[in-house]
Amino acid sequence: MSVEFRKDLFADERDDNLNEIGKPTRRQDILGHVTGRSPFYDDHLFEGLLHVRCVRSPHHHARIRSIDTSEAERMPGVVKVIRASDVPNNFNTLLSLLNFGRDDEPLISDKKVAYIGEPVLAIVADTDRQARDAVAAVRVDYQVLPHVLDVEDALKPDAPVVNETYPNNTFDYHDKYDHQKLRFGDVETAFSQADKIIEGRYQMSPIEQAPIETNGAIAAPETNDRFVCYTSTQALFFSLGTTAKLLNVSSNRLHFIGGTVGGGFGGKVDSLVEPMAILACMLTGKPCRFVWDRPEEMQVGAPRGAERWYLKDGVMNDGRIIARKFTGYFDAGAYTRLSSYAIIKGTAHLPGPYTIPNVSSDVFCVYTNRTPATAMRGFGVTGVDFAIESQMDRVAQAVGMHPVELRIVNAYRDGDMKAHRREAKNCALIECAQVAAEKASWPIRDEFKRMSSLHGGGGERARIPYTVTDENGRIGERRSGGVAPRPTTVLPPATPAPPPPAVAPTPTAQPDYAHPAAAPPYTPLSPAPLGPPPATPQPSPPLTKEPAEPPARQANRPGYSRFASNSGFRRR
Amino acid sequence: MSISVKTFDSAAEAARALIGDRTARFMGGGTLIMRDINEGEQSFSTILLAKDQALKQIHARGEQIVIGAGVTMAEILSSRELDFLHPAARSVGGPAIRNMATVGGNLFAAHPYGDLATALLTVDASLVLAGGEQGMPLADLLREREREPRPVVMSLTVTRPQQRAFRFKKVSRVKPKGVSLMTIAANLPQQAGRISGARIAYGSMGAAPMRVPAVEQALEGKTLDETGIAQAVTVATSGVEPPTDAIASTWYRHEVAPVHLKRLLLERAS
Repeated sequence: MSVEFRKDLFADERDDNLNEIGKPTRRQDILGHVTGRSPFYDDHLFEGLLHVRCVRSPHHHARIRSIDTSEAERMPGVVKVIRASDVPNNFNTLLSLLNFGRDDEPLISDKKVAYIGEPVLAIVADTDRQARDAVAAVRVDYQVLPHVLDVEDALKPDAPVVNETYPNNTFDYHDKYDHQKLRFGDVETAFSQADKIIEGRYQMSPIEQAPIETNGAIAAPETNDRFVCYTSTQALFFSLGTTAKLLNVSSNRLHFIGGTVGGGFGGKVDSLVEPMAILACMLTGKPCRFVWDRPEEMQVGAPRGAERWYLKDGVMNDGRIIARKFTGYFDAGAYTRLSSYAIIKGTAHLPGPYTIPNVSSDVFCVYTNRTPATAMRGFGVTGVDFAIESQMDRVAQAVGMHPVELRIVNAYRDGDMKAHRREAKNCALIECAQVAAEKASWPIRDEFKRMSSLHGGGGERARIPYTVTDENGRIGERRSGGVAPRPTTVLPPATPAPPPPAVAPTPTAQPDYAHPAAAPPYTPLSPAPLGPPPATPQPSPPLTKEPAEPPARQANRPGYSRFASNSGFRRR
Repeated sequence: MSISVKTFDSAAEAARALIGDRTARFMGGGTLIMRDINEGEQSFSTILLAKDQALKQIHARGEQIVIGAGVTMAEILSSRELDFLHPAARSVGGPAIRNMATVGGNLFAAHPYGDLATALLTVDASLVLAGGEQGMPLADLLREREREPRPVVMSLTVTRPQQRAFRFKKVSRVKPKGVSLMTIAANLPQQAGRISGARIAYGSMGAAPMRVPAVEQALEGKTLDETGIAQAVTVATSGVEPPTDAIASTWYRHEVAPVHLKRLLLERAS
């Protein structure tokens, strides 16, 4: 396939002397792969290697009354039974290495299980078969609990508590809300001025990364009281840090050796096999191998999480989207892993690559009794992109417009303000859409062919609008008040926030959406709005002042750092 | 439990050993049993093998062809006598699997496997068992294949279909090696342009591959065109209770079965 470059489009914007794209490049590891010489962790076999297998929960949700290992312990080849009490620090959350979120997941669970396949016990034996046979001989007495598998059901007040660390079944954002907020402008007023309202519900299932090599690690004692660990991990130091925490050892006693990852795609960052292999090695003094088999990789290995999105767009007849509201539910499964972060990332991506002057979003990280979700290629963004682009097609249909033209008319242009208060730069969606339409022989009108990302942006489109904020969804409120989120209904009037800083645009700067210029960028008329008056109270709605800084918050824990959707990782 | 392996000279001896031992499995090519062993399956601990050469033979007697149960998919593909079964054999796994997987094993392969068995149902396959019993229809075996003790199949006898009468389609989501969403085999002999003695079988549409009498009856005496097959398409899933699995739901299989059946019936014979 030949590659066609359109360097002319941005010739004055960036150095386009591409060194790799369009040129044949040999993958750095391909010679080893095709000659069968790439070293994988599982090639490092040791004399007297022991094998680890887990007893796993057959239930979505259950309390463990008792675990009887008497028969298993007597079985041939069994060297050690590893219980939850053998794990030095049996409580962790992956992103605790970044101080994001609270510990919520044991390595081995002996009190309660919250998903099918959760490890309850581990057995170390001379052979894999002996370990499996002993696993089959363990008797666990479960008290089955009611479970919840749907994100919206999990938010209902009477839903079973999946994860005791987060008893509201939602991750706590910024120590304050049960969801991640994004507010830009005033969607409700804009909805009332829009020609059409278009709503959609979109849903994505979990996706398994399905690497050819399943997750696994081999650990062995090393000199100077250290442990060597050969691992399939995608994130060597992440796994090392996680292991050091769970096993309560100094990280300099751990010697991690990666190498060839036999397929990862996000499914090898959760660091579940390394701590187990090293723990077994510590407890037995022997080299130990812990490898998931294929069913475990499928059932226990964390997938890309399921997502559900509700979108509501206010659209003018000429195709301009003037308001977009999101309600999103990420299915984290039973434990947080990386879902909390996926939502931060996804929120920064809203409302897609489009300049929409009013955006509002509430995204929930929801705990359910499903397999915990984790990373997978662009997680946090790909799911909502599917929702956004499906919605764009729906909007195009509703206003009777060419779907490509609809995207062009709404696309970011250089200098525009994004909803998360960063300036759009190096925009190219318009050009991509134009070329795609041309290549697909799907003609667009001349005026759309003439549009450019380089022109028409900035100015009024660079303005941060006065923004309506609210205090809805404080942690615990939903569960105690019995109000499940209602994605398509109008938010109740905003509770007045603490007095905002003085300098801010006045509500009279509210753009008029009804009478745009013939083609975008639209030029708002001022001062008198022609549309219906804004629904919000005129005097001084809560405002945001500076683009880069969220309203000042009380620093509650010194040295506590966390992600913020609009400023990245912050140290407080 | 450690796994023990017992090897016998004849399939009959292996069959006798199987009757007395609930923890034993007779192994053909090993594509299913070795996977179970690797995954620590607890239901058996003994593997029985037979070195019987009779298991490996293919020979034709007129229109009848005898296929040893130990014949592999790859061996079917290299047999000219069995050319009508090539599409079915080729639909099983990839080359490595086809080199190991046997005809006999395919008869016991749990849902969603058993594509070859689906094809064999339409060519009047009857079985010779290792105990000596002859003439058991394949459909009878498939209906009760879970019942212990499982018989050891020595060979199958099939009847070569009329020229261009045999059709086969495996519908899967992943190509070329995906498991079956629905497999359809059709043997449609014609007399004076009309179907006479149609045999239709489905795979992955129930616990085991099965004949579909409702469709067969609806095709009797009909022509192979849009009008001729209309009734058969209407009753495509009559009497069929397709399962829900990771590949497709019961509802979905019900919905698409008529579509795939219609396409297969209207396909121009190659």
